[in-house]
Amino acid sequence: MTDHIAHGTLVTIEAEHEEAARHRAAAERGDAPLLPSERLWGFWEFTYANSALAIATWAFLIGGAIGLFVGPKEGIAAIVIGNIVGVVLTALATTTMSGRYGVEQFVALRSQFGYNGSRVVYVLAVVVLTMGWLAVLAMMFGRSIDGLMALSAGEAANPTGIKMIIAAVGAILVTWFIVARGPTSIKFFNMVVSPALVILMVVMLYLILSHHSFGELLAMPALSPPFEDKTLNFIVAVEVNLAAGFSWWPYIGNLARLTKNERTAFWPNILGIFGAAALGEIVGLLAAVALGESDPTIWMTKIAGPVIGIIALLFVAFANMTSMANILYTSIVGLRQVGTASVRAISWGTVLFLFCLIPLGLVVVYPQMYDGFFIFLVWTSALNSALAGIGIVDYFFLRGQKLDMRSLHGPQENGPYRFWGGFNPIGLFALAVGCIVYVAVFNPQTLASLPAFKYLTASLPACVAAGAVHYVLTRLFARGRGWGQYP
Amino acid sequence: MENDTAWQNELARRARIYEDIEARGRFEGTMGALDYAAVTALTLVLVVAFWFWGA
Repeated sequence: MTDHIAHGTLVTIEAEHEEAARHRAAAERGDAPLLPSERLWGFWEFTYANSALAIATWAFLIGGAIGLFVGPKEGIAAIVIGNIVGVVLTALATTTMSGRYGVEQFVALRSQFGYNGSRVVYVLAVVVLTMGWLAVLAMMFGRSIDGLMALSAGEAANPTGIKMIIAAVGAILVTWFIVARGPTSIKFFNMVVSPALVILMVVMLYLILSHHSFGELLAMPALSPPFEDKTLNFIVAVEVNLAAGFSWWPYIGNLARLTKNERTAFWPNILGIFGAAALGEIVGLLAAVALGESDPTIWMTKIAGPVIGIIALLFVAFANMTSMANILYTSIVGLRQVGTASVRAISWGTVLFLFCLIPLGLVVVYPQMYDGFFIFLVWTSALNSALAGIGIVDYFFLRGQKLDMRSLHGPQENGPYRFWGGFNPIGLFALAVGCIVYVAVFNPQTLASLPAFKYLTASLPACVAAGAVHYVLTRLFARGRGWGQYP
Repeated sequence: MENDTAWQNELARRARIYEDIEARGRFEGTMGALDYAAVTALTLVLVVAFWFWGA
């Protein structure tokens, strides 16, 4: 009898443990807010994760692109100015609320755009951006592998050839496999790759400085300045870096929710994202200008020689995969939240694979995308800068840093974030205003700009305009209509 | 998951924990005025210094 009771108690306890584990896994994937006791990352772990995300070869790519517009001295200034402003505004808009409540970023976004509006924002900001970046990073992985195979064989590299495509496809598939195993495997990857990447950058910097003095490097001209007006070239370089800073908007909120508290969610962005990205970009800039080549997969072999070049390319190729894993994980966590019940019913591994199909297609049919990546990057700032402005105004000035977890995660159809058919017309209108202001001030495709661009950039007016419109219209119209549970 | 009573209870439990933390003002490691002042000062110093140095 006693054995029966003991056995029954044991079965009940096991069932409770299983259910608790299931709930925790669901919370980890973003279905519920993570409790403070469940968060994985402290200050340094989040700094490593951020560094791994930022220090990837996209930093080398952006640095190389800056070298097209301005020389190293102006370039370093543009990198620091653009990144610090972009990263701080983005971190304020996303990581503070994720760090405080452990809430998934796009669930929190229901309070700004409505439960259907957050889906629209997700598709615009994450699907397009992440798929584009996954493809670009995979192509860069492919080019690195192609470059090192060519270096080993003493042949010329073929950056758009079949070897590059096969390697890029392989990179996406391996990334899928890593992310399918959950955030713990990503954490392990970050802890190993991030510190090693810092060492690699220091080695690259040493190799560059062993060929040229710092003074010589600073005096070098830009590779291909688009305008005769030096100030305009400088502001374009600042704008590219602002775009790089704002481009973290879709990602860092969902990484920050894994941190232990608000401060731990915010400050590592300054050290990890800003510090690491700036360092990587400066190395990319100096190398590009010194070697007359903006593509890192080419200048690395030029500067380091065959042996170190092979090691560097191999390492950078796998570092790329770390960044791919980070952005893929955060994007799918968001997708599960904004998706319909049928999307959420698809298994984690399957939805990851489906998301990877378009990047796989881009790698195979449009490898030229790699060469125009910075135009794609600047376009994204039209959206991300406006989103940051709306996020800051909504969370800090309209809601007084308070979110209602019950309403955010409960049934939405009759909840306070229903707004108007699930869309907050004010938030979406403010977003549209921000984007229009951006493109009116500076056209990323043609680089045509208004005179004000030289003094204001385009991202900052877009950010301010979107935030101001959202604030004024919400104060005027939202409370009276009972929209959005504003205090 | 949405129709699962256990899951709805779990969501309510998590929401209640945050409501309790909020009501007692027991959020740990919150950003204070000093944090916001520090990040503003850091940003301004970097922007102004590098603008004069490089632009």
